[in-house]
Amino acid sequence: MLSLLKKKGETAEVAALPAWHPNFRNYEKLPDIKVVRTAFFVNGAAIFLATTLGIYFGFKEWQLHVVNGQIAHVAGLIGRDKRVSDQAIAVFKKFQADETRVNEVDAFIRSKTLISVLVLRLAETLPANVAIDAFELRETGLTLRLAVRGDAAAASGYATAYLEQLKLDKQLEQFDEFNFTSTPMRNPATGRMAVEFFLRLKPAVAAAAKPVRKPLL
Amino acid sequence: MTNQDLVALIKKHPISFGCGALSLAFAVALYLRVDEIPGAEAELGLKSADGDRIALNIQYSTQLREHTDAMAAAIKDVESHLVRPTQLGTNTQYFYKLEGETGVKIIDLRQTAATAAPAKGAKNAYVAVPFSVSVQGSLPQILDFLRQLENGAHYCRVLTASFSGAASNRNAPLTLGLSLELLGKS
Repeated sequence: MLSLLKKKGETAEVAALPAWHPNFRNYEKLPDIKVVRTAFFVNGAAIFLATTLGIYFGFKEWQLHVVNGQIAHVAGLIGRDKRVSDQAIAVFKKFQADETRVNEVDAFIRSKTLISVLVLRLAETLPANVAIDAFELRETGLTLRLAVRGDAAAASGYATAYLEQLKLDKQLEQFDEFNFTSTPMRNPATGRMAVEFFLRLKPAVAAAAKPVRKPLL
Repeated sequence: MTNQDLVALIKKHPISFGCGALSLAFAVALYLRVDEIPGAEAELGLKSADGDRIALNIQYSTQLREHTDAMAAAIKDVESHLVRPTQLGTNTQYFYKLEGETGVKIIDLRQTAATAAPAKGAKNAYVAVPFSVSVQGSLPQILDFLRQLENGAHYCRVLTASFSGAASNRNAPLTLGLSLELLGKS
């Protein structure tokens, strides 16, 4: 109770005073008397750090080992198959060279209309009152000079009907335009109507040659 | 701190120092091998791509040998149907042979110079050998001649054709003028 009655100023004065006897304690040599010693935490942290780093290092080494194993496996496969692959590439190059030649021949043959087929088709489908005087196939198209039997009105009708027939003919699909090139005129020598048609050839579309085989790389 | 003090400290805290040394060793090893895995993975990527390419090559080369043999046989067959531009006698003989077989009469036959040069850089194995030919005959004879020409011993394409008869006399022989090319080998 007495201490409670003392003034604050007095307490501070007492603390500032030197101890009544010297402190001879050597803290470094005194045993650690804490409940859990500091060394336990230090050792624990050191073990934890070493274990963590060890596990991480081990994991990385295992990863590297796995990757190296995969590399060795793939290298083995490559070593086993490379010779066969190289042989296949050499054979494929020969195949490609031959394929180019065959495609060249194919393109040469398909580049133009077969005249014999065209003439035959025109002959087969020629109407009774129409005769072909001339047939001229050029790069751009086909000119047909016709002689049409009958009086002027009927002959013009026959010619128009024949042109329509040619337009609808599926076997003449190489042509895309069918026109009269001039006004039909009567030929005084023969008494027949002279008519001229022009059938324009479709522009040549180079068909891309499809590769026969998948390419080897 | 002297060495003796240090040794004493280590002896006093062997676990801490042992673990510290071990951690340091792991850290150094990790640092030294940090590039190993990315490097190995990159190498694996390259090898895998190489392996995949090789596997695809083998997969795609199924029956390649047979196809190549078939193609080589086709080329051999193609080459037997080619003309040689320099062999004028043999080339004209071909048309006269057709004349004899079909009954048409050749009124003009010329082997002309090639008009279109192959595209620059194009590696053409074959050349088109141009001819100009005019024949006379009946419609069946001319059709036979055309058919034999287009489906005959040599590869042929007709560039232009002019086919006419006499308007005044329907029984007169027809005239066919052709500008054509035979596939040849230089």
